[in-house]
Amino acid sequence: MITSIAWKNVWRNRTRSLTVITAVMVGVFASVFALAAINSSIVQRIDSAVNEELSHIQVNTKEFRSSSDIQNTIADPEGVAGTLRNTPGVTDVTGRIIVRGIASAPSGSSGVEITGIDIEKEKQMFTLSGKLIPGTGNYFGADTKLNSAFIGEKLARELQIIRYILTAESFKALGDNGVPSAVTDKLKPLEGRRFTTEKKLTEAYNSLLTPREIKKYGLSIREAAWSYREGSRVILSFLDVNGNQTGGAFRISGIYRTNNDLFESMSVFVPDKELRRLTGLEEGVYHRFIARLEDNDLTDMVTPVLREALPGLEVMNWKEIQVDLAMIADYINQIYAVFMALILAALSFGIVNTMLMAVLERTRELGMLSAVGMNRRRIFLMIMLESIFLSMVGGFAGMAVSGVAIAITNHSGINLVKYSEGMEAFGYTAHLYPTIGADFFIILTVLIVITGILSSVYPARKALQLNPVEALRGE
Amino acid sequence: MKVVEINEVEKTYHDTEVEVRAVNGVTLSFEKGDFAVIVGPSGSGKTTLLNLIGGLDQPTAGEIIVAGHRLSELKPSELIDFRMEHVGFVFQSYNLIPVLTAAENVGFIMSLQKWPKEKRMARTGELLEAVGLADRHNSRPSQLSGGQQQRVAVARALAPRPEFILADEPTANLDSKSAETLLDIMEKLNREEEMTFIFSTHDVRVMKRARRVITLEDGKVVSDERTNHTV
Repeated sequence: MITSIAWKNVWRNRTRSLTVITAVMVGVFASVFALAAINSSIVQRIDSAVNEELSHIQVNTKEFRSSSDIQNTIADPEGVAGTLRNTPGVTDVTGRIIVRGIASAPSGSSGVEITGIDIEKEKQMFTLSGKLIPGTGNYFGADTKLNSAFIGEKLARELQIIRYILTAESFKALGDNGVPSAVTDKLKPLEGRRFTTEKKLTEAYNSLLTPREIKKYGLSIREAAWSYREGSRVILSFLDVNGNQTGGAFRISGIYRTNNDLFESMSVFVPDKELRRLTGLEEGVYHRFIARLEDNDLTDMVTPVLREALPGLEVMNWKEIQVDLAMIADYINQIYAVFMALILAALSFGIVNTMLMAVLERTRELGMLSAVGMNRRRIFLMIMLESIFLSMVGGFAGMAVSGVAIAITNHSGINLVKYSEGMEAFGYTAHLYPTIGADFFIILTVLIVITGILSSVYPARKALQLNPVEALRGE
Repeated sequence: MKVVEINEVEKTYHDTEVEVRAVNGVTLSFEKGDFAVIVGPSGSGKTTLLNLIGGLDQPTAGEIIVAGHRLSELKPSELIDFRMEHVGFVFQSYNLIPVLTAAENVGFIMSLQKWPKEKRMARTGELLEAVGLADRHNSRPSQLSGGQQQRVAVARALAPRPEFILADEPTANLDSKSAETLLDIMEKLNREEEMTFIFSTHDVRVMKRARRVITLEDGKVVSDERTNHTV
């Protein structure tokens, strides 16, 4: 009966209740959706870190990470590989040889980390091959020669292998993408001109278009002008096992695009056979072993097992390599809960205000309830339930709306390409696909109930302070 | 059988700098089946006396014994339970719970007392029929006239079979016809259920029906007369 009365009391003053319910709904929706958007970025970043860059566990000599000396190879590679393969939870293992060097092209050079890889094995273990920009190669396809390299878009830009040219085809593509002829006509003076950087192209068309046209069509123009010089080569120079300068010309077998500018600019992949030939490293010698696990959740469990099994080597998992990301991954729900608690704390003031008004305008009724025998515990419970119902209706509505919004945008994505430069510099994607775990909604429900309870304390105490005789006489 | 015993009861208020003695040395008792009214001018202490009898307020001096309970010995929480178990209240302005239907209002105190649902519904039906509202089970108070609301309030007070009913100016807000109907019902319930009714009133119509008229002036009982009115 108390529950029923409390529920009905919520709807006594519909306008007032709906106002506070709407406030809670909007607050919950906005917060949950914002968190889901942030979360998507983090989830994608973790996914990239594990599946494109680091894998779950890396094993190398204790000195290798700091010195990167070519001589720092693993002493018993077969034994280490065997230990890794036989460890429960490990699904795949591959070895890499890694040298530091310089990548050069006619227009520039850049310091890089050159990784010699077992192409077939890496294809199985990593998704980096899926990040190939169409039209730039085939990621060491069947007809690929040994002296081929797979490089990042950022490095390709630095080496000016990628440049920007508005060709006749570019103008056609712009027309097909709905850019009006009035705009393309203004761009005609740029036809055929080569821009070595995106910035230079942007400066050029900025001088020809209005701010509105730049905002609306800038991205389309940059995409249409993006040009890859087919058959480009890059010179990779590094030291061999004897400390002598060596290197070779490598044909680009593909350019990959990730969300991590640093990784894109630093990481060059080449077939390990070619790197062995050039460096003089023997077959079967490796600088690092990479292990993949059945499940990311096994990372913390498998790492100490391997550390014990491989005492002379450095065993690090992705969380230890990317400490900042690991901290976010491990405490993400706690961070979200604190954020939501702050939002709900702000919303609770609205609930307290509404409940206080509801109590003060029902003085005589509360006096009557006390007079006919409703004890203090029941009156407190009734007020508390009203407050909980108010918060929960608003909270559930907010969760439902955010659930729908997340489902839609998770499918379609949110394009923050305008801010991509800043986000990708830190390894985060500019295309968000909002997502949030079901466990977060459980935490949120608990927080909403707590908000309802805490918001009821002051109004309920006010109700309990009423003297039935005075309350009955009061109105 | 005595339902209520009041011995030398006083109630003094210190609302302002002036001390107000609302009830001043009242000694009274009520028998089971009484149909009594307490009359007197405004400020004579009628409502205060009713509040003291009902355990809504505690006397400054003297003692009140209801159904064997010395009210002055009860803690505030025990007084609430005492009111729920032993006293039925009918208020001047009905004081129904606006979000509940007539039937739910009647069943409210029984549900606080945790009556089984079937028993509660049977009693509710019986009482709504007794007060002439058998067809208004599902009406909210806002859908009922003042007289009908007061009849629901009487049914609510009567539902858990209290020792007695305290009715503070129950007809004050009713027109003549509604007041007469209400009094007919209360007389009938007094007769059929042997329910003790104690009213405070200014209303001559109530006084005419009473079998006992207690007159208060300045907090003192100035007369306590049995009338020859028979139900």
